[in-house]
Amino acid sequence: MKLISRYNRVNLITTIVVMLITGAVYYQAISWILTRQKDKDLRDEEQEIFDYVTLNHHLPQTFQTTDEQITFTEASPATVNREFVDTTYFKQWDKDDGPHHRRHHYGRGKGEYEPGRGLITSVTVGDKYYKVLIVESTVETEDLIRLIFTITIGVILLLLLILVITNRLILKRLWQPFYDIMKELRLFNIADARKIPKLETTIDEFGELNDAVVDMADKAKHDYKDLKTFTENASHELLTPIAVINSKLDTLIQTENFSERQSKILNDLYGAVSRLNRLNQSLLLLVKIGNHLLHERKQMNLKLLVEDMIAQFEEIYQDRDIRLTYNLTNKEIYANAYLAEILLSNLLTNAIRHNFTGGRIIITLTENSLTVQNTGDETSLNDEKIFARFHKSSSSEGSGLGLTISKEICESFGFSLNYSFSERFHTFTVVF
Amino acid sequence: MKILIIEDEEGLRESIEEYFTEAGNVCETAGNYATALTKINLYRYDCILLDITLPGGNGMDILKSLKENNYPDGVLIISAKNSLDDRLDGLNLGADDYLVKPFHLSELKARVSAIIRRKTFNGSNQLIFNEINIDLLAKEVKVGKLPVKLTRKEYALLLYFLANKGKVVSKNAIAEHLWGDGIDMANNFDFIYSHIKNIRKKLVEAGCNDYIQAAYGMGYKFTEQ
Repeated sequence: MKLISRYNRVNLITTIVVMLITGAVYYQAISWILTRQKDKDLRDEEQEIFDYVTLNHHLPQTFQTTDEQITFTEASPATVNREFVDTTYFKQWDKDDGPHHRRHHYGRGKGEYEPGRGLITSVTVGDKYYKVLIVESTVETEDLIRLIFTITIGVILLLLLILVITNRLILKRLWQPFYDIMKELRLFNIADARKIPKLETTIDEFGELNDAVVDMADKAKHDYKDLKTFTENASHELLTPIAVINSKLDTLIQTENFSERQSKILNDLYGAVSRLNRLNQSLLLLVKIGNHLLHERKQMNLKLLVEDMIAQFEEIYQDRDIRLTYNLTNKEIYANAYLAEILLSNLLTNAIRHNFTGGRIIITLTENSLTVQNTGDETSLNDEKIFARFHKSSSSEGSGLGLTISKEICESFGFSLNYSFSERFHTFTVVF
Repeated sequence: MKILIIEDEEGLRESIEEYFTEAGNVCETAGNYATALTKINLYRYDCILLDITLPGGNGMDILKSLKENNYPDGVLIISAKNSLDDRLDGLNLGADDYLVKPFHLSELKARVSAIIRRKTFNGSNQLIFNEINIDLLAKEVKVGKLPVKLTRKEYALLLYFLANKGKVVSKNAIAEHLWGDGIDMANNFDFIYSHIKNIRKKLVEAGCNDYIQAAYGMGYKFTEQ
């Protein structure tokens, strides 16, 4: 769930709850005030009745107004408690209430009940004791409350609407730096020279986040660079001792008169030194590809390059009775010649090395891809692991870096290198 | 031939010196920048083997000094740096060739021979060994008067052998010379055997002596005996 949606949801619920509570309190407060107002009116009326009785020694004439009714009923003395009550008020239709109401004049209930507020009190006239009921209609009060409540609800809805709109518009803008940082992080490549830019933001949190991200990226890059420098230096330092061993071996075999056993040992030494050398060269090459040190590119005809490479390896695959067939179309690529050569050489060497005597190799070059297929083991290779560094089959004499290098070369060219196995053919495809 | 070996790594320097020292060859060595600079200003050499990283200075400066003085010595740079920029820098400054460490001594010898051949036989492009006559421009081989048709690799191999006359050349060195550094077939050099067999057969059929000998299963030797 997005932070905005979560925030909006919480915000919405709180706002509604608070508004409802406010509404209820508001309602109660207003009705309390208005009821007190009514009660005061009723007390005034009561006082008027008392004054009248004191002055005239008889009950006033009962009269009715549109919003007030007073009734006197005889009662036994001291049975009436003075109290305010919520009651109903029977409103009689006026004669001129309009045609709509006149129809009811001939019926029994010539009027309607409205909510009212009453005061029950008592008055003694001479020796007679009367219960007095003064009722006032509160319909106007209710109307007022309803109006206030409607306005309140309206304000709530308006507020919510404004909140939602502001969230949509402003929050999105507020969070923009965050999304910018996320985008940079996603684009971040440890081997890339591109730095994460400093973000212009007035919001402290995002500023801090950006600083942390920039620092982290710089540190990661720095460490990675250190590691690469180390690999490069280590490989370079290895070159001289390898060169010495190599030259000493070359010198040693000039001394002649070796027994068969000695020459076998020397042969193994040669093999090991040459493997050590290739391994070292491969590491150096990987560092160079990673550092984009081999950046000179030129237009090349891949078809000619493949043909050259096939001719180059002719003696080797023919010696193992491998039948190589190819179907090449003209294809121009813009790439580093040295790397392209290594790529082709690696693919072809693999196809020969992992083949069996009398096997087959098929090379196909189209406008979109270069495919090298070879017979070999009857089982498919693990296509996730084969491109990993130092992953190799147990029988392989290679460095275990050939396919890693090939893949990295392809990536540096913007190509992709894929493996598949079908119908007894191991297939490596370079997709341009 | 007079050769100067400028290389700070003693083991390597000695090996090269030993490999190049033979009848008719004089080898001198320099282990640091100062000695090297003194020697190139005192004597002339047919070929100078120049290491770039030297104690006391940069080999490139020695190359510059040679060219500023218009000394005609051939220069072969031997460097641990396998970068195109260094190679181009060296060649632009007037070096004749550039060889990356580690290398086989036979490869070094072949490169030096090629440089000296270019320097000494101005105009003449014939390489003659007994009855074998090679036209370096046309890349044609004759035994006596009889032309021998060699493939591109067989021709390169013959030149390689001639440059390393009397030396045992390892199979690794041959494989790397003919198929490049990328050759990754350490477990199987049988294809070299068939290759050598072919070239021997062609030469012998044309009436040539069989100069190529197998040496203890480690390599081959091109020798007059």
